[in-house]
Amino acid sequence: MKTIFQFIIKELLQVKRDRKMLAVIFMAPILQLIFLGYAANMDVNIIHTTIYDQDQTVTSRDFIKQFEQSGYFKLDYYVDNYDEVTELLNQGKTLVAIIIPKDFEKKINKRETAPLQTLFEGSDGNKASIALGYIQGITTRFSQGIVTDTRDKIGMKISLSGSLTPEVRVWYNPEMKTRNYMVPGILGLILMISTISLMSMAVVREREIGTLEQLIVTPIKNYQLILGKLIPFTLIGFVVLVIVMIIMTQWFGIVVRGNKLFLLFTALLFVLSNLGIGLFISTVSKTQQQAMMASVFAVMMPMIYLSGFAFPIENMPEVVQYITYVIPLRYFIVILRGIVLKGIGFSALWLETLILFGMGIGLLIFSSLRFSKKIE
Amino acid sequence: MNAIEVNNLTKKFGNFTAVDSINFNVKQGEIFGFLGANGAGKSTTIRMLIGILEPSSGDALVGGFSIKNQSDLVKKNIGYMSQKFSLYNDLTVVENIRFFAGIYGLDGKKYEERKKWVLKVANLENMENVITGSLPGGIKQRLALGTAVIHEPKIVFLDEPTSGVDPISRRNFWDLINELSEGGTTVLVTTHYLDEAEYCNDIILINAGKLIAQGDSKELKTNYIKNPILEIESERVVDSMEILEKEKWVGETSIFGNYIHVILNDSSINEQHIYQLLQEKNGIKVNRAEKITPTLEDVFIHLIEKDSKKNV
Amino acid sequence: MFNRIYAIAKKESRQLKRDTRMLFIVFFFPVVLLAIFGYAINFDVHHIKIGVYDQDRSEYSREFLNGLTSSEYFDIVTYIDNDGEIKNLLDEKTVQAIVVFPKDMSRKLLSKQEVKIQFLVDGVDGTSASVIQNYVNAATYSYSIKLTKEYLAVTGKNLYMPIDLQPRFWFNPDLQSTRFLIPGLMGMILIITAVISISLSIVREKERGTIEQINVSPLSSIEFIVGKTIPYIVISLINASIVLLAGYILFGIVIKGNIFLLLLGTFAFLFAALSLGVFISTISDSQQVAFQAANVTSLLPSLILSGFIFPIESMPVAIQILTNITPAKFYIVILRSILLRGAGISAFWDQLIYLGIFGGVFIVLATLADKKSKNK
Repeated sequence: MKTIFQFIIKELLQVKRDRKMLAVIFMAPILQLIFLGYAANMDVNIIHTTIYDQDQTVTSRDFIKQFEQSGYFKLDYYVDNYDEVTELLNQGKTLVAIIIPKDFEKKINKRETAPLQTLFEGSDGNKASIALGYIQGITTRFSQGIVTDTRDKIGMKISLSGSLTPEVRVWYNPEMKTRNYMVPGILGLILMISTISLMSMAVVREREIGTLEQLIVTPIKNYQLILGKLIPFTLIGFVVLVIVMIIMTQWFGIVVRGNKLFLLFTALLFVLSNLGIGLFISTVSKTQQQAMMASVFAVMMPMIYLSGFAFPIENMPEVVQYITYVIPLRYFIVILRGIVLKGIGFSALWLETLILFGMGIGLLIFSSLRFSKKIE
Repeated sequence: MNAIEVNNLTKKFGNFTAVDSINFNVKQGEIFGFLGANGAGKSTTIRMLIGILEPSSGDALVGGFSIKNQSDLVKKNIGYMSQKFSLYNDLTVVENIRFFAGIYGLDGKKYEERKKWVLKVANLENMENVITGSLPGGIKQRLALGTAVIHEPKIVFLDEPTSGVDPISRRNFWDLINELSEGGTTVLVTTHYLDEAEYCNDIILINAGKLIAQGDSKELKTNYIKNPILEIESERVVDSMEILEKEKWVGETSIFGNYIHVILNDSSINEQHIYQLLQEKNGIKVNRAEKITPTLEDVFIHLIEKDSKKNV
Repeated sequence: MFNRIYAIAKKESRQLKRDTRMLFIVFFFPVVLLAIFGYAINFDVHHIKIGVYDQDRSEYSREFLNGLTSSEYFDIVTYIDNDGEIKNLLDEKTVQAIVVFPKDMSRKLLSKQEVKIQFLVDGVDGTSASVIQNYVNAATYSYSIKLTKEYLAVTGKNLYMPIDLQPRFWFNPDLQSTRFLIPGLMGMILIITAVISISLSIVREKERGTIEQINVSPLSSIEFIVGKTIPYIVISLINASIVLLAGYILFGIVIKGNIFLLLLGTFAFLFAALSLGVFISTISDSQQVAFQAANVTSLLPSLILSGFIFPIESMPVAIQILTNITPAKFYIVILRSILLRGAGISAFWDQLIYLGIFGGVFIVLATLADKKSKNK
């Protein structure tokens, strides 16, 4: 017991002394969460638009005004030939080019259909289809306006059938603010990265510097050494956790709908499972460089992409989905978003919680067993 | 009473045999010297004896416990100071002491007592809050030694403890080792410095993983070099050596600064032959040529070269 | 001067060549990661699980549902018959959306009134939610038009559509998100490999003490730094080529534009990334710190701030300025221009300049930092 205690003191002293490490350990998560929290935004607010008005009539200008007024479309370019349209699209300077045909007004007045070409810079399919959605909305409203006008002019009532309109209600995140579901995700990422990168260097560092040899000569037991390394990092992880939670709720104003204590508890389990992974890396690496490479390429990057943070797991090929089952972050993100946005609790999240718990304990035990007090 | 008994201890790394069936005993309270060139297998042997490296075959009893099966018990009774400085450079002196004391289970009065002792030994009495990394090399070594024996172990392993340390610190260090030995502690030291080997009660010489000589300093000098050694002071040392080496009655030559040591194959040869050969026949002025008692270095070089020739 | 630089470069190359583990990781992992993630990441949702609360049970609702499920987008997994079950279904994520048909839908339609179909969408997984929203809006509108046409056909009238929207998506006609994401993925993989591999190079010498020997020599700081960087440029270029090749083979990303421009852009990018890594190396005094710093500057920023996933225009202005700290941002613009649009240098010459400035600044900073540490 005393041994472990001494060990913890030593580790904490070493951390305290290393100013640069302290700065990185505690400042980095804060800065990252704040900056990245603001950055992670999928909302399409500005659509750079090019207008090629071949008609130049009252009707066409009226139509164009609809786009102006919508607030989404920024009419950057007015061109008068196709080449410029092509150029702008090729250079990615505009997202959509709206081409109003020459006899737009004439056709509408004759109750004929006017074709409206819309060319999209389609690289970002998501953005393009959202833009299309807006354009469809504007076009439909404009059309309806024309049709109702037409009705009145002729005096006949063209009775349309009943119409169907969709009413979409988004649960848990009604304003569909990207931030609300991204910030918890980023929180999970930051927690994962700090814990794993710290822990993966923990044991290897002593091996490389040479102090590990001095340690394994002593009667210190395997588990004492492991716990001695683990507990200080758990404490550090917990402090980082609390800090980022505070930022999420106070700075970003994201309200935790569910039980905060349960959130802290599951976060702790998450930290433990990451420490287990880091510990494993630390015990199998001979040099710090190896530990670094292994943790970044074999662990952290896959976790970022496959955890469901930004890319939905349901969209991944089956094979890849199987890989995601061993990623603790995957479960934590479900839990995190569930508690924060949905307000659900243990009854709905018991499986994920259990898995995190199992992973954490399992990894820790496995890594400690692997770590032998011998060198080879 | 043997503090350490080593039986056919062997360590292989793949095809390479680092330690080849070594046998020796160390009596309790002895200062035991481990000599050998770099890469000869000294550190590997020590690592096995302290229980952190698994032997390929053979066993050893350290403090009565088997290194193969009871390494945990072995560790309780030993202290170790490694070649590379292995205290924490980013902790203060007292923090390092406290840490290792804690691991060995020292607390309360015992801790205070031993702490004071370590500080005294390292000459750091009012400097306990100095950052370890900022201390000069010699002091760091003394601190490391003090910390290695903070728990008053019966057996202590020191791996090149004085490498890179100034002569005065070295002398102080050996005073300390003697103190420990007088107190009944068994000390096993590896060293390069042959003058230090003179301080040991018993010495073994290891080359290419094999034990090639054992005995105290006197025994080594008399038992291993049967042939007389001449020390020659002459001009043009390199030329002289080349000429000598051509003679049948010359066993080995080696240069010692300005002098040449020649091990003779023929005990009937004496100083006159040297004067004859060098001065008269080759015109090289000889200032002095006389028989000497071999130094340990002579023994060392002789044995290693002999062993290397055997292996060729 | 060049002799000295060459000497350092040669030594570094030799050391690198011997470190087979590191080489293996540097060349092997990026391709593997590209392969796995390339298949994993996309925003196109398919087989979205939905639940149906059909209070109408008419041919209309059935026809609508048929329309929904005939595309690959939606799968109906359950029918419910009371609204108490709604919360459970969404909470436990059994379904991602619930379609609610109102009770008197058929009657209202026949009497030409407006009917609202409710879609309750799980907003927790925001990206999917907005995509789902798009889909259901489009589906409803098109069904509505279909109904109207049918009705009018019965009464012998034609639906007059004033405007016929003709959207065309350039560069990505089927709106695959993968194509759009691959450049970002490449950028992130390349920058992480480059920064992390070089960030240890100088620190290691500091930790081992070999840097003293170098400080004593007539080698100037700038020569030292340039010499150190050269082997890594070579490695990174080889790496980049492998990654680009893999992109072509696995994902059919054809270089629509000029391949030399691509290499030039890649070179500029690697220069910027490596100089950042070198800078980190000169200001860190332990490998641990270098690792943390490398992580913080290249891992999350290249994911979130680079425009890889989140459009930079959607970010707050202050954050947009911040995005310039990751050279991946500039590279992604270049990659997308060349790979997706086949654009010429006029589309991205400014990005090249930014990369050059970025690299230059950090090389200078690194040199200053190295000078400073020599004089300590």
